[in-house]
Amino acid sequence: MIESIVSYGLAVGAVYAMIGITYNVMFSASRVFSFTSGMLGMLGGVLGALFITRLGLPVVVGLGLVLAGGAAIGVVTEFVAVRPVLKSLEQHLYVLSTLAFALMVQQVVAIKFGTDAQPFPRLLPIGPGLLDQQFWLPMLACAATIAGLEFLYRRTLVGRAFVAIAEDSYAARALGLPEQGLRVASFALAGIIGMLAGFTGAEMLLAFFGNQPILNFYGFVPVALGGMGSNRGAVAGGLALGLFQQAANFLVGGIFAAVAVFVVFIAVLLLRPEGLAGVATSRRV
Amino acid sequence: MSTKQRVITRRQVLAGSAAGAAALASGFPAPAIADSDPIKIGYLPALTGPSSSTGIGINRGTELAVEEINAAGGVNGRKIELIVRDTQSDPTKAVNAVAELTQRQKAAIIFGPLNSGEALAATPLIARDKVPMLHPCWVDQLIDVKKYPMAFRDAPTNQQIGGAANQYVVDVLKLKKVAVVSDTTGYGTASVDAYVPMLKAKGAEVVFSGNIDAANPDLKPDMLRMRGAGADVIMPWSVNAGFLARILNTRGAMGWDVPVVGQTTLGSGQTKALLEKPDNWNKVYSNNFRNVCFSKDGKLPARAQEFVERLRKAKLDMGDTLLWWIALGYDAPRLIAETIKAAGTSPEQITGYWNKLTAWPGVYGDITFTPEQHNGFQDNEVIMCEVNSLRDGAFNLAPGYGS
Repeated sequence: MIESIVSYGLAVGAVYAMIGITYNVMFSASRVFSFTSGMLGMLGGVLGALFITRLGLPVVVGLGLVLAGGAAIGVVTEFVAVRPVLKSLEQHLYVLSTLAFALMVQQVVAIKFGTDAQPFPRLLPIGPGLLDQQFWLPMLACAATIAGLEFLYRRTLVGRAFVAIAEDSYAARALGLPEQGLRVASFALAGIIGMLAGFTGAEMLLAFFGNQPILNFYGFVPVALGGMGSNRGAVAGGLALGLFQQAANFLVGGIFAAVAVFVVFIAVLLLRPEGLAGVATSRRV
Repeated sequence: MSTKQRVITRRQVLAGSAAGAAALASGFPAPAIADSDPIKIGYLPALTGPSSSTGIGINRGTELAVEEINAAGGVNGRKIELIVRDTQSDPTKAVNAVAELTQRQKAAIIFGPLNSGEALAATPLIARDKVPMLHPCWVDQLIDVKKYPMAFRDAPTNQQIGGAANQYVVDVLKLKKVAVVSDTTGYGTASVDAYVPMLKAKGAEVVFSGNIDAANPDLKPDMLRMRGAGADVIMPWSVNAGFLARILNTRGAMGWDVPVVGQTTLGSGQTKALLEKPDNWNKVYSNNFRNVCFSKDGKLPARAQEFVERLRKAKLDMGDTLLWWIALGYDAPRLIAETIKAAGTSPEQITGYWNKLTAWPGVYGDITFTPEQHNGFQDNEVIMCEVNSLRDGAFNLAPGYGS
């Protein structure tokens, strides 16, 4: 029982964490909370199954195409659903525009790919067991993502520019940073991370159009728990969510597991609205 | 496949509207040409969209039957014209199509919709326009002789589907400790609510019943709970292939050797594609129909055998669909044609004839209607089959049934 809680919990948690990071990367650069994150996760599984199982491409090529597709969709999201509404950000129109874009993509998937869950190929020729790749692949991808982001944000000039935009976009623009270009780049990056989450988690979650709302929601929880914009918080929140959810499955079971997750989520938000790892932002007067 | 069918559909539509335009232009009063006019059957399959695999299968049978009837001279010298409106698996489209078929096209009868969701939306409208309808959808409420006196069903109800599964578990397999599970959809929860009391009434002990979130990738906790409760058979009610495959895969991984008995999706290609190993499909029994299943000696009943040979002659593909879908599609136009031939085309004539229909021999089932009972399928023709025995679109009867 413990082994099942840990292996499934951490694996699912890693997927949630990566979706949370996808939210964060887009949020940092644009202050837009884009509900295309779950869509990216869903597409990672669906496109992976399409390229590798249906079209018979090698795993590496399939992964490359999926990630490239993620970057492309990220850029399209920025142009179609974010840029036009940024002018009136105060009205939070982006919530509707990104959600509408995500729902349209989901409908296209439902019609073209089908509404039934479909199998996702085994990526590596390693047999099933406790150390099954469906468990460690998402964890590995999550670790690689967080390490890559830390390196990008702390060690590279482009990454520092991202951080500058996230801290204060007016000041960054005043310094001559190309705000729009950086925003497009961050949406492309988020596209890649979201797709990677879906791709590595798909052996467990299957290639299924219905994964979109689930990932949208369970990916949002770690962001809320960990604090908006905090990637380390998202990882901690995601893994905790996965473990808690799986433990609840064993302890209370069925639909009550989901209820338990909601209860804890609401309780945490009431006690610490800024998130477990977040710092309450002080407003400058 | 579906594109090709849509082209044909459009062509038929064009032909139909051209004929209509010609009739208008000629200016003859309608009765003068009525006797040689084609008899219009409104037809509402879902040929595209998420629930279209059933519709595409049924459509092969329907088109074949209409071709055969017309090739043999039609009905009393009149051809049958199928007016096809693809519902695209969308209740809204079905509703719009109903208005067109009943009011503009003046269809004598409507066959369909073929999916319950669309039928739930369309049935009240067809009833309001006082056009007879025949459909194969399972949802119980679709037939109600008071509300919809002209609606008839030539397929089983959900009650019969659940009853057959329960009967197999309790009377044939002689198992008494049952776990009943479903996903959290409306269909799933309604099925558990309906079938658990039926099982208890048959003397079974329901040791576990519950709705499981189908999004949950790991069903082991719930399956351990079922095993802990002492279940010796699992009855899942869901049309979600992913959910069903996870039950079968978890059963395999746990090495738990219990039969799984339930709805037809258990035997679908989508479920099969998600199995971790082929063995996980052993001891899985899904609903099917006595008239289109292989018996112990590997033979189909005579009527179905003759039908399969006819399909082969017409070069109709069965490998990618199910025999019972084609058979069901094939029966409807024949039943309608026979009715019109014997009774006439008015709604009262059709309804009156059907209210006295007894054991009409279809390929899919023997249909009997009475004025009080418009569910025409017989209880004993709903049976369980072995899902891993699929060949040429048909299954073996599950073990335990007399030949």
